[in-house]
Amino acid sequence: MNTDLLIVGGGPAGLNAAYKAASNGLKTTVIDRWFTLGGQLNQQTQFYNNLPQHFENQRGYQLANYLIDRLRKLDVKILENHKMIGAYNNGSIGVTDGKSTFQVQAANVIMTTGAMEEPDIFPGWTLPGVMTAGAAQILINRERVLPGKRALILGSNNFALEVARQLNDCGVAVKGIVESRNELLSQNDELLCEVDIPVLLDSAIERAIGKGEVEKVYVNTDGIESVYDVDLICIAKGMTPIFEPFEIMSCDLTYQEKLGGWLPKYDSRFETTSPSVYIAGNAAGITNIGGILLTGEIAAASILEKSNAANSLKIEEEKKYLWGELYRIESAENPSALDARLDVIRNFHHETGIQLPVYLDSVFGGLTNG
Amino acid sequence: MDKSTIVCRCEEINIDEIESAINLGARTFNDIKRLTRCGMGPCQAKCCMNLVRQIISDKTGQPLHEIRPPRMRVPLGVTRMGALAGSQASSVTSVFGESTEEGETVHEEKL
Repeated sequence: MNTDLLIVGGGPAGLNAAYKAASNGLKTTVIDRWFTLGGQLNQQTQFYNNLPQHFENQRGYQLANYLIDRLRKLDVKILENHKMIGAYNNGSIGVTDGKSTFQVQAANVIMTTGAMEEPDIFPGWTLPGVMTAGAAQILINRERVLPGKRALILGSNNFALEVARQLNDCGVAVKGIVESRNELLSQNDELLCEVDIPVLLDSAIERAIGKGEVEKVYVNTDGIESVYDVDLICIAKGMTPIFEPFEIMSCDLTYQEKLGGWLPKYDSRFETTSPSVYIAGNAAGITNIGGILLTGEIAAASILEKSNAANSLKIEEEKKYLWGELYRIESAENPSALDARLDVIRNFHHETGIQLPVYLDSVFGGLTNG
Repeated sequence: MDKSTIVCRCEEINIDEIESAINLGARTFNDIKRLTRCGMGPCQAKCCMNLVRQIISDKTGQPLHEIRPPRMRVPLGVTRMGALAGSQASSVTSVFGESTEEGETVHEEKL
């Protein structure tokens, strides 16, 4: 199978990139290992009030539907239930539908593999009833199953607080948010004002016990032990980029704690060290929904520019706008991740000796001088 | 923390087993993988990658940015042998041909 652009991953980054490429005439193929497109957006019921200007603010699952419907109207090959399992010596990508494996020969690839949630361990963490916050969210919003009756949340980032609120809305009694530091990680603590959830700072889960499932949890707060009678523990420690497919494509990795740990190196076009292999979304560093959508679109615009598929002046104007939006949204919601992202890009350009585009001067201004 | 706490749930490897591997000289995730099978189950180190890196860092003093993830290999994810081999039997027929005893009839498969 031949295609101008193969997109691995049909979440928000991949879908937005696919729309950009296909609406400008590139022959585009999207594969996703799941049986529906939309990725993790499908169970995000919260309202996004800071999307890029060319999107209407809306709830996560509505945004997923919008991105999918918009793409289905175009001439795009969409392969659900297909996963990338490897690469061949000739540079083509091995894709399987579970029955057979075939080669996809793509002039360009954008891999939007997303991120995975990180676990936190304590004695008893493998008992049924302990899960990540994302798993609990899938159960309530997608599968319509209550994961428990009484819960503790381990971690206090934005996602932890959001899932605590959603569980509370579903009638789960959230007995506390356990945080090892002396303050909440999330700046957005208005999420907690609406609901009555106790916050346990300077605290750690010592152990969880129970017969075949979580029944009791021992929490240590500054040396004082208390027992919680809960059947659900949601772990929200943070996320880390999924980079395995990039390693298979021989992309060099770099380490940036603020972006979630190890991730592929990339330049200002979101191209990795392997030519024609691009990256976008949470795989390019943990960010917010605005950053996920915009990085996908910048990667696609860069491929259009390279393939002379669109007027180069127009593309440059568009990229300037997209970078402006990325800067606006990430500097407001996630400034330390933005700094780390610019660091990755600056290092890449430093290594290759390729100048950063002039239109990025304002974005990189603070860093290149410092 | 209790040293019997599981770190890699796919292969049921606990903190003690990982620390013992480090005491034997393991310094990278790949070393620990070879000694214990940690990270070699169905999830391919997706859950334990950073947990193990943290234990290596705590135990040896190496900073986290110097501790690389384990080597990833194809196929990515659990894949059936049949899906890898495909439905075309061309390569398989030659094997049957070679193993044919003298005097046996060779059935050429028409593909």
